[in-house]
Amino acid sequence: MEFKELDPILHAPLRLAVVSLLLSVKEAEFTFIREKTNSTAGNLSVQITKLKDAGYIDVTKQFKDNYPLTLCKITPAGLLAFESYVNALQSYMRPNGNEL
Amino acid sequence: MEEKQLTEKESLLLISKMISTAKKSYYESGTGAMLWGFTNCICFSVAYLQEKIKGFYFPFNPFLLMIFAFIIQFYFEKKERKFKEVTSHHEEALKYIWSTFGISVFILTVGGGVANIGYSVFPPLLIIFAIPTFITGCINKFIPMIIGGIICWLLGIAAFFMIGPNTYLLTAIGAFFAWVIPGIILRIRFLRSRNLQYGV
Repeated sequence: MEFKELDPILHAPLRLAVVSLLLSVKEAEFTFIREKTNSTAGNLSVQITKLKDAGYIDVTKQFKDNYPLTLCKITPAGLLAFESYVNALQSYMRPNGNEL
Repeated sequence: MEEKQLTEKESLLLISKMISTAKKSYYESGTGAMLWGFTNCICFSVAYLQEKIKGFYFPFNPFLLMIFAFIIQFYFEKKERKFKEVTSHHEEALKYIWSTFGISVFILTVGGGVANIGYSVFPPLLIIFAIPTFITGCINKFIPMIIGGIICWLLGIAAFFMIGPNTYLLTAIGAFFAWVIPGIILRIRFLRSRNLQYGV
């Protein structure tokens, strides 16, 4: 029986929620992510920085109507990491631990 | 969301919950569809009446209304962009499809006008109307737009056999089914979801 190691960057509730959310959109504002994940700005900011440092998301800062705006989007590396993470999760849930 | 160790099952549940949350966050207000649907309906209906009824008076060329529609669309887009927090992949693709449609219509109508092909421009115009409408309907799984696209194709076929002032009427009918009806349905859905969200 062989179990794959789960990516520690993704295997945390808020970071996994952020990546899952960004997976189905082209890009999303920080406020949108905060609202949908029910997180605080401080905590979300820390987790987004971790994801950015890992190269899983791109963060762009700009201005909209004179207000600062933070846009996040998933990178190809993030997409690949997410796929591997889901494959690993599935191997844990199968009785023999192998991939399909 | 607290920082705790997730079980495999919890991880998968969280992923599916977030993907579904993201999908529910896209909205289409119906403003664009209604605006262009009504504008086309009015323009082509007035042009038809001008051809059919002697002495029918309209103060200016009805197709100049398209310019006003562009200005109004620009205003609404700017207003909507202000409140938009997320961009979907679909929206991005549809933006290019509708831009291609706009350029094609412009080339066809201006080119047709310069070449003086008259009413012969309408059958291909109706067929072009159908393309982005049908694609949008299929991508968004929105049946009224799929039906609208099919109706435009059928009207396009009919227009080949009715070259003359009646093609104005067919085009107005096409715009009505392709954009006015779907636009109204989208608008109603949008207002309902907004009322639910804000408890109005």
